[in-house]
Amino acid sequence: MEPMQVFHDREEFLARLRELRDAGHGWRDLDIHMPFHVHEVDEIFALPPGGVRFFALGGGVLGFAGGLAFVCYTVLSWPLITGGKPIVSVPPFLLIAYLLTILCGSLCAFGGFLLLARRPGFGEASDVDAHGDCFMVRVREEKKR
Amino acid sequence: MMLVTFKRRDLYLLLLLAAGLVLLFEYGKLTPNRGALLLTLVFWSGLAQGCLALAAAAELTRARWIASLRRELLCVHPLLLVLALLFLCLAPRLDLYPWHEKPGPWLNGPFFLVRNLLLLLAVWWTGRRFALSAAARAEPCQRDAVLFLFAFVACQSLLAFDLVMSLAYPWMSSLLGAYFFVEALYAGVALAALLFFVLGGGKQRQAPEVIGAHHRDVARLLFGFSVLWGGLFFAQFLLLWYGNLPEETGFIVARLQSAGLRNLALLVILACFVAPFIGLMARRVKERPALVALVALAVLAGLFGERLFFILPEAPLHLGVTLFQNLVLGMGWLVLVHGQGEVLPEAVGGEG
Amino acid sequence: MSQEPGLNAGPNLAPAERLERTVLAAMSRPSLRYLGALGLCGLLVLMLFAIWGVIIWQGMGIAGINHPVSWGVFITNFVFWVGIAHSGTLISAVLYLFRARFRTSFNRAAEAMTLIALSVAGLFPLIHLGRVWIFYYLLPYPSERLIWPNFRSPLVWDVFAVTTYMLVSAAFFYIGLLPDLAILRRRLQGWRSRVYGWLSLGWSGSLDEWRHYNRVYLFLAAFATPLVASVHSIVSWDFAVSIVPGWHTTIFAPYFVAGAILSGSAMVFTLTIPMRRILGLEAYIQVDHFEALAKILLFTSLIVSYSYICETALAWYHGNLFEMEQFRYRSFGDYWFLYWIMILCNSLLPLTLWRKSWRRNLRWLFILSLLVNVGMWLERFVIIVNSLAREYSPYAWGTYQVSLAELGITLGSFGLFFAMFLLFCKLLPVLSMTEIKERL
Repeated sequence: MEPMQVFHDREEFLARLRELRDAGHGWRDLDIHMPFHVHEVDEIFALPPGGVRFFALGGGVLGFAGGLAFVCYTVLSWPLITGGKPIVSVPPFLLIAYLLTILCGSLCAFGGFLLLARRPGFGEASDVDAHGDCFMVRVREEKKR
Repeated sequence: MMLVTFKRRDLYLLLLLAAGLVLLFEYGKLTPNRGALLLTLVFWSGLAQGCLALAAAAELTRARWIASLRRELLCVHPLLLVLALLFLCLAPRLDLYPWHEKPGPWLNGPFFLVRNLLLLLAVWWTGRRFALSAAARAEPCQRDAVLFLFAFVACQSLLAFDLVMSLAYPWMSSLLGAYFFVEALYAGVALAALLFFVLGGGKQRQAPEVIGAHHRDVARLLFGFSVLWGGLFFAQFLLLWYGNLPEETGFIVARLQSAGLRNLALLVILACFVAPFIGLMARRVKERPALVALVALAVLAGLFGERLFFILPEAPLHLGVTLFQNLVLGMGWLVLVHGQGEVLPEAVGGEG
Repeated sequence: MSQEPGLNAGPNLAPAERLERTVLAAMSRPSLRYLGALGLCGLLVLMLFAIWGVIIWQGMGIAGINHPVSWGVFITNFVFWVGIAHSGTLISAVLYLFRARFRTSFNRAAEAMTLIALSVAGLFPLIHLGRVWIFYYLLPYPSERLIWPNFRSPLVWDVFAVTTYMLVSAAFFYIGLLPDLAILRRRLQGWRSRVYGWLSLGWSGSLDEWRHYNRVYLFLAAFATPLVASVHSIVSWDFAVSIVPGWHTTIFAPYFVAGAILSGSAMVFTLTIPMRRILGLEAYIQVDHFEALAKILLFTSLIVSYSYICETALAWYHGNLFEMEQFRYRSFGDYWFLYWIMILCNSLLPLTLWRKSWRRNLRWLFILSLLVNVGMWLERFVIIVNSLAREYSPYAWGTYQVSLAELGITLGSFGLFFAMFLLFCKLLPVLSMTEIKERL
């Protein structure tokens, strides 16, 4: 495998990325590692927004619908009037549904992140750590052919 | 686009004319219903003060988007004086209030007029000071902004408690004051979104991608305010619903008994919360000024509808007169935006 | 106190390297003073559990609560600690959405504070239950004869709200930690490196990881922002939905949220001002950042004052006898002294922050933060106890005296809070190194 090209300076790193892009490499052909996120990289490769948002949205919708259905089911399965409130009391039930929207939305976004970023995954860690605190880039083997 | 140019004197004359027209329709014996001026006043004080308050808040938090719209938001300050004038002319309408027959230490005609007039004048005075200094200088003038915000919060709270809440005395909701000034800010954001669409980011000649970024920020603010509005609405509704006290729920029950107002209430929730919340969730919508402006229009309509919902049962009004009055004030606002160079000093140095 | 080798290692160090060394120095072998402080807090924790044991053994009579004041210091503490949690989320999530740069100085410590304060807060409903071994009655499951909990009850909303808040804050905290855990993995040796390596989930900083990381961070911030407002709103509704004079008022939700952020920001000062000095973080947590946070404190203090004025003025406006009596009783009744201390600490003293020189005076900020938290604790006490002491029927009036057991448990909860924070300082990086590198 080709060794990593290592940069300590962020501008040099970005310049190299622009070169690679102009040479026709997309971001998927490159193995890029950064100690912190550099926003210019997104612009250089025009990165797509990624799939976490669908997890967040899906989880949110699921949480809302599920929460509402859940509380309605519980009160209808044993209709018991308390505090002079209707059996299906919409305002408080909306509150429960709202909390579950946030809970499920967040947890699904978290799960989606683990799935999409393929974490936990310990393959690259030692390789990356060996170089210390710096930017790294190399062209992936399989894409060279 | 500059077809007509106005001198400052012409602008003030036009505003005076607008005020005159509003009053003519109010007191011209066109209709026996007398709530129109009250509604117009409550609605437009929110809009006009909201524009300035939004600018002041943006200056204080050093929001970057304000650079695209600073002058368009600041130029509204002469309208605040018109509103104070209109409020003074509300004096013959005080018999709309149930406490008019039996005045108390707080709710009595003279005190009511004096305290609200003083606050409206204070808002105008601090607002004008803030607008003039913010337009002239590149760096934010924090003291003026803070002073104006104080006057703004006090004035909107008192308008809510005095002008609106006391219509249904002894109904009471202690959140209504805060609710009103948040709504005024919400209206300010909606107007900013409209201005972005109409003027394409003001006349500051900035790069399109900068204007685009600023517009996205305004769209995000609109989205954020829709959530805030929903939260405050719910916070009030839940407590009244849960407490189920006749003196508290009476206000809502009286309104929800008529089908028209019931539908209006649903429309208000739809326009102020559902439309911006669902509509602006997608990033692609936030990037299109026309769609954002459409949502902003819905929000403004919703806020108007809510004022209608509060005021209509207690103070019946003629819809045509109300719409005309609001149209006149709207024209006044547009004329101010158009002739902003006359009411604001030229900026010294570059835009910050 | 110059135990930071990073700063002394020479001026030629790259800024990122210096940052990493400084933060790692904080995680080095504990000093005697640290152990002493931890030991003291540990003793307080022991006291807490000992007293709790006595309460479980002998019954709730040991606490001072009784009819009519059946909510006392325990519930005050619950509200207080949940409130402390709030500003952590404000700093990490809300300021992230508003792109306020000074957040990176505080966000790690503030998020840790959120989690710690929430776990302390969670103890109090359990203590207050009395029979804590049947706490699971609170959970949503069909218990006796397949009856579910009453979802119209604000106490059940509380269970949902606090649990959701805990889980979402934990996820947010953990996501933010991942790149920093990878740094620890790289810099430490032996088993510590392995442990942090597992915890970092093998974070390698690849573009794909960062791409999704940024999105999930944004979404969690976007979820946490309305959540933080709703959690304390729901806590406020524990009081406000009941028809008790002084409680049943619509402004309660935003009023409590503002109060929570006020006390939470104050606690951030209390924690970070000594932390910055002891750990030598002056280069990263700058006075400018404290000043920005001081403005938030001032702003929330103004909202709280606005709420005090509104609720009192409207009680008078409305003319309801019981409401008016409640507010008279609060300010001139049995607990008048506490009420005026509360006004002094929450409304008047923060006004000093209008002056720039006071906002930048860390010594004053530290003192003020302690006073504000005294005031905010008293605010909850004043609201809870006064309203219960004077409900409608004069035959059911009564006063409440805090018992020694309640005081001990309160003290113990502070011990628990500080002990956990001390442990956090040794076990995890106290600054978000990755985010600070972005601005270096």
